[in-house]
Amino acid sequence: MSQAHRDTLYVEDARILAREAFDGDQVILRLHAPQMAARARPGQFAHIQCDSCLPLRRPISIMRVDAKAGWADFLFKVVGEGTRRLAERRVDERLSLIAPIGQPFTYQLQHRRPLLIGGGVGMPPMIFLAEEMHAVTGAYEPLVILGSEVPFPFQSRPSQLLVPGLPEGVIAAMPLLDDWRVASRLASLQGYPGTYEGYVTDLARAWLDGLDAAARKEVAVFACGPHPMLEAVAALAEEYHLPCQVSLEEFMACGVGGCAGCVVPVETPRGPAMQRVCVDGPVFDARSVFPPA
Amino acid sequence: MVHKLEREMLASEFCGMRFDTPLVLLSGCVGFGEEYTRVSGFSNRDAGAVCLKGTTLEPRLGNPPHRVCETPQGMINAIGLQNPGARYVVDEILPTLDFDETRFIANISGSTVEEYAEVARIFDDSPIDAMEINISCPNVKEGGVAFGNDPEMSARVVEAVRAQTEKPLITKLSPNQTDIQENARRCIEAGSDAFAVINTLMGMAIDVESRTPIIGNNQGGLSGPAIKPVALLKTHQVYQVCREHGIPIIGQGGVTTAEDALEFLIAGASAVGVGTALFYDPLVCEKINAGIAAYLERHALNEMAQLVGSLVPND
Ligand SMILES: Cc1cc2nc3c(=O)[nH]c(=O)nc-3n(C[C@H](O)[C@H](O)[C@H](O)COP(=O)(O)O)c2cc1C
Ligand code: FES
Repeated sequence: MSQAHRDTLYVEDARILAREAFDGDQVILRLHAPQMAARARPGQFAHIQCDSCLPLRRPISIMRVDAKAGWADFLFKVVGEGTRRLAERRVDERLSLIAPIGQPFTYQLQHRRPLLIGGGVGMPPMIFLAEEMHAVTGAYEPLVILGSEVPFPFQSRPSQLLVPGLPEGVIAAMPLLDDWRVASRLASLQGYPGTYEGYVTDLARAWLDGLDAAARKEVAVFACGPHPMLEAVAALAEEYHLPCQVSLEEFMACGVGGCAGCVVPVETPRGPAMQRVCVDGPVFDARSVFPPA
Repeated sequence: MVHKLEREMLASEFCGMRFDTPLVLLSGCVGFGEEYTRVSGFSNRDAGAVCLKGTTLEPRLGNPPHRVCETPQGMINAIGLQNPGARYVVDEILPTLDFDETRFIANISGSTVEEYAEVARIFDDSPIDAMEINISCPNVKEGGVAFGNDPEMSARVVEAVRAQTEKPLITKLSPNQTDIQENARRCIEAGSDAFAVINTLMGMAIDVESRTPIIGNNQGGLSGPAIKPVALLKTHQVYQVCREHGIPIIGQGGVTTAEDALEFLIAGASAVGVGTALFYDPLVCEKINAGIAAYLERHALNEMAQLVGSLVPND
């Protein structure tokens, strides 16, 4: 077992500090969970008990943490009974969580132009990753592309940051990222103003095509979202010869590596294997999950 | 952690092994004994024994996703005995376990009688404290519950494993069979030292939108509080067979609280398994231990053994 699997997991009774609901059954909860907030990394998740009548926990990815204040933000969408109950929880109630769980995204300065693609409830880890890349060193110049087919869980606004190579009129950005001076753009088939009408991968392709060969060598791709989107992102990365990490989802029971309930098939140097999304992932190399033909 | 006084009250002897507490962490829920130890506040020392994941002769990849889903008061799983094979477990995993923490029990699985025997032979030559014969896994096509539901086949597996080892043998019985008492009798004759009662009940969950089963394997094993009443009755039935032979039982199925554990002890179990409840609360063991100790004190009982099988049936 690798050392990366050995970091301590904390069980915390986290008080809900704030709750914000958005169209499309989306909710952001801010939880007071100082032990995990001090240690969480982008790509990791918390295993949360949504309701005592539904005691099996649900994995929810971490969107932001404030280590000093001891809180963590979670954005989720109601997709089933567990998340429906979670959406009903109110400020000052407590939620039991186990966190921080999983292999985080990894990145290197050699790839100083990371391309972060988040679809739907795959947005949170991308926001966390962008914040870390930006705040930790300032040496990275990430572009974040977010896609959603329900209204975005924030009020978008025209970006202050120029991104060359994008189709005209694609100017809407996520304000939080813009405030951090991290460039972001939005994609949707719903025709929201300032938003690219099409797939996140088409917008990504336009951006990549606008880069010269030297700049393109500095790109690495990070993605989280629905499976078909990840597959398309992996194919795009393959086509442009870019390294790519994807974050996966699967039903879970224990969340700590004990039950093998959350596995996905992956290709390894030693042949096909079933790996646990909770502790071997959720972040995987795209090539192991979507082996190039 | 178990406090000193509690520890004295909760300790017991099981097939010659010392169990520090009556709790047994159940096979398939705690990997190979080490995964949960990352959780702050968790300790294998809160359990009398830890059963390792079901192990076959060759490595197995297991079933396709989804492998788990929540159901009312429980869950369905169909892992399909994913494991790295007996040789790997003995050579690579057992040396990393701390045998001072608790007793480690192998969970022996196979598709043929010969495979069970071979896996047992490999574990016999290892520091493992005991072996549990899993003839009740509902999630593999061959072996497993296909053996466990047939008393004749069950006895043949037990006999074959018995021939390979003198370590304590615990036979894990299936609830998916007509006459669990007859099965228990045959397994005792074949050399079983103890029983684990029960494994999961076979079940299904359906996504009505797609009209497909939620579980990749279509069907799976139901565990958790939903199965507790069934598990209690089966435990009590097997106890009636075991009592005269002095054969102990690890009662299991849906235990989440001290009261649940007490019910199993009263029904005739000498130790109590905890599986699904760990998914709900990884720190549940110390709570159950404390609750059992408090009960013993309240009822002026010096040791747990006085409780085992103390059921007072109605006339
Ligand atoms: C995810 C999961 C995996 C399991 N794997 C095994 C196994 O490999 N071998 C076995 O004998 N029982 C296995 N079981 C059954 C448990 O050991 C236990 O007998 C059953 O779940 C009932 O107890 P519980 O309600 O406390 O979970 C598994 C159960 C679950 C939930
Ligand atoms: S959920 Fe149990 S191993 Fe991942």
